[in-house]
Amino acid sequence: MKTDASLARACKEYEEDLVLYYYGDGGEDERRKVELHLAGCGSCRHFLDDLQRLLPQITGAETMPQSFWDRYYRETVSKLQTHDERNSGWRSIFAPLQTWMVPAFGTVAVALLVIGLMFGKSNLISLVEPHSEKIPQEILADKNQLEFFESLDIIEVLSKLEAQDEPKTEVIESDGNRASLRGQIA
Amino acid sequence: MADQLELRDEELVALSQQGRRDCFEVLVRRYMEKAFHIAFNFTRDTETAKDLSQDAFLRAYSNIKQFDGRSSFYTWFYRIVVNLCLDHTRRRRRVGWESLDQMVEKTGEQNQFADTTFLPEEHAIAGEAKRRVDKTLDTMPKKQRTAFLLRNHQGLSISDVAKVMKTTEGTVRVYLHRAVAALRQSLLEFV
Repeated sequence: MKTDASLARACKEYEEDLVLYYYGDGGEDERRKVELHLAGCGSCRHFLDDLQRLLPQITGAETMPQSFWDRYYRETVSKLQTHDERNSGWRSIFAPLQTWMVPAFGTVAVALLVIGLMFGKSNLISLVEPHSEKIPQEILADKNQLEFFESLDIIEVLSKLEAQDEPKTEVIESDGNRASLRGQIA
Repeated sequence: MADQLELRDEELVALSQQGRRDCFEVLVRRYMEKAFHIAFNFTRDTETAKDLSQDAFLRAYSNIKQFDGRSSFYTWFYRIVVNLCLDHTRRRRRVGWESLDQMVEKTGEQNQFADTTFLPEEHAIAGEAKRRVDKTLDTMPKKQRTAFLLRNHQGLSISDVAKVMKTTEGTVRVYLHRAVAALRQSLLEFV
C-alpha cells in the first residue's frame, strides 16, 4: 500500500499528453515532446509510472470458458433465425406489394384526402344545416303585389260604402250601381 | 463457412445486406467476445451482459441494410452496444455502497460457477480497491466512463472512440484524461 507523496500531480499542461502517451496515442511529434519533458520532470515520470502500474489492472474483463462462447454463439444464431422467420411471415403477407407501390399508394391516399376535404366540406355544411328552399324574388314580388291589390279592393269597397252613407239623392243614381255594391258587400 | 471466415468485415456486411445470414454469423463470431466484454464492463453482470450484447447483434442484423459503410462495421456496431448499455444503466442506475457490495459478491459467485480458470489480472485488484474502482467508474460522468472503457478495456483507438461516441478526438482525449486522473486518484493508496 502506497502512502507516500506520489499524490503529487503531473504538470498540468502535460497530464493529458501523458495519458495519451501511455495508450500509445498521439502523433510522433507529441510523443517526442513528452519524452523530452519526462527526461527532466520527476512528477510527470511519477504520474506515468502510476498509470503503468494501475491501468493494466483495471481490465474489468472476464475470461469466460469456451463452453460459454459456444453457448453464446448458438443462442445468438438461434435468435437471428427466429428474427428471420418472423420477418419472412410478414414479408409473405406483403409480398405482392412491390417497393414502388408503397409511395404510390401513399400519394394516392394523400390526394384522396385532399379531395375529400375540399369537396366534402360543402357537403358537410349542407348536412349540418337544414335544407331550405329559397323562394324566387319574382314570386315574392307577385305575392306582395297580390296583397297590395287585395287591400286596394277593400279600399275601393270602403269608398263605395262611404258613398252609400251619403244622401240618397246623390247615391241613387242608378239601379245598376246599387246592385253591384250589394254584391261586393256580400 | 471456412471461406467466409477469410472475408473482410465490409465483404461480410455486403453479403449480409443481400440476406446472407450465414455471413452475419461470421461477424457474430468475430465480435461476440468484444461485445460481451464491453457490455460486462458497463453492467458487471454476466447474464445481463450476454443479453445486451446479443440484443446488439440482433439490432445490427435487423438494421444492416441501413449501414452505409461510411464508418467501419465495428465502430457502427460498438455504437449500438454502447447505446444499449447506456440505456440499460440509465434504467437501472445502481449507486451506493450496499448495492456495490452485492454486485461484487454476485460477480464473485458467478465467476466461480462459470469458470475456474481466471486470468491472474482479475484478482490483481481485489476487495477494497476493486470497490473503489467500481465506485469511481459508477460515479464518473457517462461520457468519461464510455471513453475510458472503450480505450482501456476494448483497445479502440482515440479516433474510433470518437466515431463510436460521435464526437471529436479532442473531446475524447479530454474525457479519457479526466477518467484516468479520477481513477488514479482513487487508487493511489493501493499501488
